[in-house]
Amino acid sequence: MESGIRILLLIAALATLPGCATVRGWFHHGSAGGAASSAASAAGGGEEQSAPPRVIEPEVARREIKVPKIRSRNFELGADYGIISIEDFGTHPSYGFTAAYHITEDFFFQADWGRSRGGQTSFETLSQIQLLTEAERRFTYYDLSLGYNFLPGEAFVGRSRAMTSAFYLLGGVGGTDFGGDTKFTVNFGGGYRVVPADWWALHIVVQDHVFQSSLLGSTKLTNNLEARIGLTVFF
Amino acid sequence: MTRRARQCALAGLVLLAALLAPALSGASEYLQLFVTEPYLELHTGPGRGYPVFNVVPREGSVDVLFRRTDWFKVRTERGVEGWVSLNDMQKTVLADGTPFRFNLGDRAGFTDHRYELGIFAGEYGGANLISLYGALSFNSQLHLELTLGEFLGRYSNGVTGDIGLAHVVMPESRWSPLLLLGIGEVHTEPKATLVQPSDRTEPTAYAGIGIRFYLTRRFFLRAEYKAHYVFTNRTTNEAVDEWKAGFAFFY
Repeated sequence: MESGIRILLLIAALATLPGCATVRGWFHHGSAGGAASSAASAAGGGEEQSAPPRVIEPEVARREIKVPKIRSRNFELGADYGIISIEDFGTHPSYGFTAAYHITEDFFFQADWGRSRGGQTSFETLSQIQLLTEAERRFTYYDLSLGYNFLPGEAFVGRSRAMTSAFYLLGGVGGTDFGGDTKFTVNFGGGYRVVPADWWALHIVVQDHVFQSSLLGSTKLTNNLEARIGLTVFF
Repeated sequence: MTRRARQCALAGLVLLAALLAPALSGASEYLQLFVTEPYLELHTGPGRGYPVFNVVPREGSVDVLFRRTDWFKVRTERGVEGWVSLNDMQKTVLADGTPFRFNLGDRAGFTDHRYELGIFAGEYGGANLISLYGALSFNSQLHLELTLGEFLGRYSNGVTGDIGLAHVVMPESRWSPLLLLGIGEVHTEPKATLVQPSDRTEPTAYAGIGIRFYLTRRFFLRAEYKAHYVFTNRTTNEAVDEWKAGFAFFY
């Protein structure tokens, strides 16, 4: 296995080195600059040989026109508050933060972080035996998701005010720290976004966090459904 | 609400206030573009389905307020604000008559772009893996990549960090193979039931192959395999296989 790795490392090194050789100017895409400079040097060589006529440079200061840059507002950042049903451990308030980047009008990436607290299972209530410590009851998750805007539309307030809106689907992966262990978590859900002004949005999201848990003896897939409302800012 | 929760909420409010300040003040100087087609259509929202509610006639001008994905919020000379698609904006000109050009994020952009960002799901040495990567392109063929990941397994959890080079073999092709080479670190936290439960951080080196597939504007799929070599301070080094697939975008 180790010799196989070495061979693979060598092959990749050999394959990557020609890539390094293709770098003409670091951080300069394309080779237009290089071609222009070589053409200029060639022209300079010709001029030296044939003693070119003097050119009178007009002493006029050119006015530089600055083209204003277009600001993009594709990032979205905000906070949310809601409730989460932690399987076997009751329903409790949750809060969190969300960040999104809108790639196209259809797709966006979203990162979520949230926290809640698990209560007591029915076993614990009846037997008075504590399965988890207070610290282990803290329920913390993070998600990296892909979102898809479907059913875009407009929401109307009265006769003269329209706000853009969209239902969206979310799906992704992440981790959940609960019961003294971090579990690989798959999330999916949907949300409704309404944008009253260009710089902020209101979200209502329902999302399921699914992970395997063996806290109550047998290993099983747990569904932890969360509903939350959030405010975000575009920038 | 606990004291810590209150602190988090306060931090969130401060962050929102900091973000709101520039959003409310706005930029005062906007790019002015002139219409050369018979008219320029203004939509009510930043999407293909939103209806056209106003038009700017030929030789009229618009101020470009900002951009969201492939849509531009503009203001006409009469003060009407609406959304114009990138395709329609490409038919306008600047004040000096030169055409307005903007990166479309199409196949040409896929071949040659500056930044990439993506998320993956996969497997790292038998454990589930969640991974995030960012790349900086030196040219169409050579990228510098930074990857962070968390693996969650039955026997151990941990985090990985890699930095390395990616060589795109056929950048102009829709299916582009990749060759990967780099170094990194892995922090492993064995589950407490094992014999050696102490956490450890070890340097790694990797080589790998991958493939990327252009899906639609600014958006592509990527899958890869990395063979990691973990330099341990035990008697033997370790080899760890990493498989993952995911989505990424470029700009």
